[in-house]
Amino acid sequence: MSTPAVSSVHQALQKSFKNLENCQKVWKSALTECSPLLESLGNLAEQSKALSNVQLSDTPLRVFPDLEDRLRFKLLQAMDTVLGKLNDKLSSLQSVRDTISSHASGVLQLYELHADSLDLLAVTERSATTPSIADMLGWLQDAERHYRQQFLRRKAVLQMLRVDNLSLVESAPQRWKSLESASAEDCITDILCKVSFFMESELGK
Amino acid sequence: MEGESRDVTSFNRKCSAVTGSARKIRDNMADWHNLMLKWDKLNEDGFSVASNVVNLRLSQSSQLSSSSAPPGGAAELQDQCCKLQHIFDKMVGVVTRMENLMTSQRGLRDLEEFQFGPEGRQCPLFHTWDTKEFVGACHFLWESFVQEVKLKQIILQEVAHTISADLCAVYLSCWLHQPFNPAHNRHMLEALLLETGHRPL
Repeated sequence: MSTPAVSSVHQALQKSFKNLENCQKVWKSALTECSPLLESLGNLAEQSKALSNVQLSDTPLRVFPDLEDRLRFKLLQAMDTVLGKLNDKLSSLQSVRDTISSHASGVLQLYELHADSLDLLAVTERSATTPSIADMLGWLQDAERHYRQQFLRRKAVLQMLRVDNLSLVESAPQRWKSLESASAEDCITDILCKVSFFMESELGK
Repeated sequence: MEGESRDVTSFNRKCSAVTGSARKIRDNMADWHNLMLKWDKLNEDGFSVASNVVNLRLSQSSQLSSSSAPPGGAAELQDQCCKLQHIFDKMVGVVTRMENLMTSQRGLRDLEEFQFGPEGRQCPLFHTWDTKEFVGACHFLWESFVQEVKLKQIILQEVAHTISADLCAVYLSCWLHQPFNPAHNRHMLEALLLETGHRPL
């Protein structure tokens, strides 16, 4: 009943979904760490903007001739630190995307390798606990696409930032937030629910 | 081998059982470190009080234009301003103690000039720095803190009387980011601590 081809594809799928489960956690925690960083980036941009709006020579601060430059330097330095930290977070998001992509393409390659010995029945056959191979391959591709797109969009938000365009930096937190899509994340959770029995089953026995 | 063991003993003598001028400098540098930590803490506390002041002031002025002012607002604003004044007084105290440290450092230099002539002592008390360099470093640090205190005094005087949101934001970011206290200060302090053996080489 269970041919060697089916069981080897099953094993690879099980491994990929376990990896996906892990990646979802890493992704979520990296994103949670990003939001306070973006908030402080937006805050620093607001401060810089306020500094540009104020003519210091008309205020009691006129006694410090180099204050504006010094404060601007400090603000830029602080922004730089925050951007550096965001960059670290972005690379952990990237590594999540990379592992999911490599798993998804690896499983697909394995399936293509065995495609001749897997007939339509074997690919679409499912039981109460094990979804069909075709479904699972599809879900894995869905998850891969979700993380790939999410990563690109978030990277684009950060790459668009320029210190000479403060309103862009100021609005970055909102744009970052607008990328959050609960339904897409729920899809991943949904997929993981659908394969939960399959992940727990002991293959190869 | 012999040279090595001699190095170790001279290191010990310099760092743990120091006496006289070296001991005094070493203690002064530890005080610098503690004062700067204390300053940072006060700066943080001051910032949160100053932002309370700004928020109260701005919400007051927006309420004034729309309806009658809340009765408790003014008292609370006064209360926060007093708190800020209190923190500022403590910061002035910190800078006064920094000045004392600098004076003590100058005294040590003068003592050396008296003991060894205008050239100072031949071999350094610690690793490489001579007493004049300690005075220079302390003076540099002290000057930046004096500027900071001047800036903070203006902020303290003005922050509750400003209705422009932008200027308030500038006051707050001046308080938080300490434009006259560059990152170089931190490195200077680390250099002092390294030289006097508080930090392992």
